Amino acid sequence: MKHTEYVYLTPMPVRIWHWLNAFGIVTLTITGINIRFPDVLNIFGTYKSAIVLHNTAGIVVSISYTLWLLYYMFVAGTLAKLYIPTMNDIKTGIIRQAFFYFFQYFKGGPNPHHGTPDNKFNPMQKAAYLVIMLVLLPLVIISGIILMYVAPLREIIMVIGGIKTLVSIHFLIACCFTAFLFVHIYLATLGHTPLAYFKPMWDGWEKVEHAHGDPHGDAHGSSHDKAPDNDHAVKSAASIGAA
Amino acid sequence: MKKIHAWSTLPIVLMLALLAIGPVSAAETGNDRCLSCHANKDIIKRGGELLYVDPAMYAVTSHSAIGCNTCHDSVRSTHPDDGLKSSRASCKDCHSTIQSEYAASIHGGKATCNDCHNPHEVKPLIAVSGSDINAKCAKCHNLGKIVKSHDKWLPQADLHIDALPCVTCHTSSQNYVITMSIQKRQSGNTQFGEFKPATHQELAAFNPVNGDVSRLIDKNGDRLISLKELRDFNYEVRKKDMRLWGMMMPEVATHSFQILENRWDCSFCHASGPKAMQKSYMAFPDNSGGYTRMEVESGAILDILYGTPDFYMMGSTRSTALNIVGALIIAGGLMMPIGHGTMRFLTRKNRKEH
Ligand code: HEC
Ligand code: HEC
Ligand code: HEC
Ligand code: HEC
Ligand code: HEC
Ligand code: HEC
Ligand code: HEM
Repeated sequence: MKHTEYVYLTPMPVRIWHWLNAFGIVTLTITGINIRFPDVLNIFGTYKSAIVLHNTAGIVVSISYTLWLLYYMFVAGTLAKLYIPTMNDIKTGIIRQAFFYFFQYFKGGPNPHHGTPDNKFNPMQKAAYLVIMLVLLPLVIISGIILMYVAPLREIIMVIGGIKTLVSIHFLIACCFTAFLFVHIYLATLGHTPLAYFKPMWDGWEKVEHAHGDPHGDAHGSSHDKAPDNDHAVKSAASIGAA
Repeated sequence: MKKIHAWSTLPIVLMLALLAIGPVSAAETGNDRCLSCHANKDIIKRGGELLYVDPAMYAVTSHSAIGCNTCHDSVRSTHPDDGLKSSRASCKDCHSTIQSEYAASIHGGKATCNDCHNPHEVKPLIAVSGSDINAKCAKCHNLGKIVKSHDKWLPQADLHIDALPCVTCHTSSQNYVITMSIQKRQSGNTQFGEFKPATHQELAAFNPVNGDVSRLIDKNGDRLISLKELRDFNYEVRKKDMRLWGMMMPEVATHSFQILENRWDCSFCHASGPKAMQKSYMAFPDNSGGYTRMEVESGAILDILYGTPDFYMMGSTRSTALNIVGALIIAGGLMMPIGHGTMRFLTRKNRKEH
């Protein structure tokens, strides 16, 4: 017997940010390869157009990052709750989640984590997104902005240790993003169906299936019992159909 | 082109030959007699700056071997009391190839040889720094305005003009080299002062071996700067408010001033790949205002931290070591979809029941 419910996991501003950011980062990666290896990849007509596009995408990502940060910090106020791993997460959560991904998952075991609007990331996601969003992205944005104004910001560059150090930081972080992107997109296909996790990132609603008698049914209960801040955060399948 | 050049330097060769055959001495070239008055700053009061000939600058020029009289052959023993205007040789008498090359360029009618060269302080290309060349152009072209007009199409024009002499883009040359120089923060403001090429005096103040400023970097005196010597120097330099500054210079000076179509295309410089950009020199100031170049171990400008930490050309001076590290990081990321994906495919039956 199955009962399907929808949880409003990802608010609209976050979704807009996410796709803008994703599009921006992919553009940055491709133009970045063009700029570093012009003799290998040259697809934007001229070198200059690759630079202009890279700079533009960089500014778009910087602005959208700032808005994302402000939104999570001040409007939603959930930055710390969502992104900072708790003591429990660090002690056992991450290991449990890794155990699931690399072992249980293959045996068909249940995912120990279930997203609620207040706690939508599993401990591994938290750790990864924390590093990506609060360490690497700011670093790559700052190094990128300095690289756009080398002559006026020369003093800062000298303090950092020269333009080559700066470029190396920028390049290596960009490589980390590319690596993250592969992992990220792949992990996003690990839902009930390969596209299950893409749906909430698109329209906000995640489908939660309660198969009664399922050993991990209890864990889902939380989204039932605890009324989320948003009245409409939980809908039944029927109400969605009616809408 | 080669032929014409050889033919047109004939007068120079003949003259040098003549000079070599005769018993050449300072007295013979007449320099000393003329300098006795013209190297004295008092003469400026008599008729202006132009009358003064800086003896140290003059002594190192090839022109000093020719002698004052050769170019001012009408000066008589009654000079200066006769009040006669003396002759001045025209550059084209001896530099006809350059003269015709220059006359045919877009700049031919805009400036004369003397606007860019003081005949008493001439230097070959290898003895000047990029900033010296830009100073020449700056006499007529306001650098601030040039940055603005180039900014319309050249990203970071200010950075480009700092790292390229104008002639790198406005004359043609077969090859380009990176010339590094030691720059020092202007005294008075050590925190944010402007960097200017360090003078011989400023470097001599650091007491190099034998007073030879090149020994500040070339520690072992083998006339070749190794990467290790550069690294040591870079490390020392930070405490002394100095930096190494690289500029991309043409290998030969031509006077074919032009607006080269291919300089619109950034990849003329930014895509030549690491190989082409390996040749680099260190230019040390000498005490006559010129520079002496010393070769630097190849690969210095590709070295991330030790070569020229403050000189980087996107697309052409990338470090291979760093590329490998980057590729490894990305390969690490790919392990997830590939490794996990394979296992996932093999174990897909286990999840079917759900
Ligand atoms: C006794 C000092 C003295 C000596 C020696 C001397 N000059 Fe002069 N020279 C002068 C003075 C003074 C003037 C400025 C004359 C004037 O403005 O009327 C002058 C002017 C000139 C000028 C510019 C004016 C002109 O004639 O067109 C030239 C060129 C020049 N000298 C070349 C030479 C050369 C070459 C020698 C060596 C062969 C030489 N001078 C030796 C004192 C000297
Ligand atoms: C390679 C040729 C050459 C040699 C060698 C040379 N001059 Fe000249 N000199 C010139 C030329 C050309 C001018 C004119 C510069 C100009 O018009 O700006 C000139 C200008 C001058 C003037 C200034 C004239 C004025 O316009 O008022 C003086 C003085 C002078 N020379 C002195 C000397 C003395 C002294 C020596 C030797 C120590 C010497 N020159 C060697 C080519 C030469
Ligand atoms: C009497 C012959 C003669 C005249 C006139 C002459 N030069 Fe030269 N110049 C030479 C010789 C010889 C050299 C050294 C060989 C070479 O570089 O071609 C030289 C070298 C140079 C150099 C390179 C500097 C160096 O030390 O190698 C410059 C720059 C130069 N001359 C500019 C001029 C200018 C500008 C004029 C006109 C004001 C001029 N010359 C007039 C003979 C002359
Ligand atoms: C617009 C500026 C400009 C003009 C005009 C100009 N030159 Fe030059 N010339 C340079 C620069 C820059 C160099 C590079 C070396 C230096 O700065 O001395 C140079 C170098 C030279 C050299 C040395 C070449 C070498 O291989 O080292 C000679 C000789 C020379 N010029 C002669 C002339 C003659 C002759 C004329 C006139 C027909 C002339 N120049 C006009 C800017 C100019
Ligand atoms: C004696 C003055 C003078 C000096 C020195 C001088 N120029 Fe010029 N230059 C001019 C004038 C005048 C023009 C024409 C007006 C303009 O375009 O600014 C010009 C134009 C140019 C142009 C554009 C030509 C065109 O047809 O659009 C270039 C490029 C140029 N100069 C390069 C240089 C470089 C490089 C140097 C230094 C090596 C230099 N100039 C030194 C006077 C000078
Ligand atoms: C990166 C290569 C590059 C460098 C460095 C460079 N130029 Fe240019 N410059 C160009 C090109 C390309 C054009 C043609 C652009 C145009 O027509 O708008 C140009 C145009 C010009 C013009 C004519 C149009 C204008 O902007 O007034 C002048 C004058 C000029 N350059 C002078 C200089 C001087 C002086 C310097 C050194 C301070 C310099 N350039 C450095 C590439 C360069
Ligand atoms: C084309 C590229 C991308 C795709 C297809 C993609 C896909 C997804 C999907 C499906 C989710 C929801 C699943 C989950 O929460 O894990 C998600 C969430 C997320 N992604 Fe991406 N992503 C891409 C690029 C990026 C990039 C470049 C970044 C960061 C630099 C990023 C950062 C995040 C973050 C922080 C979340 C959680 C957002 C939140 O709900 O607060 N993504 N992504």
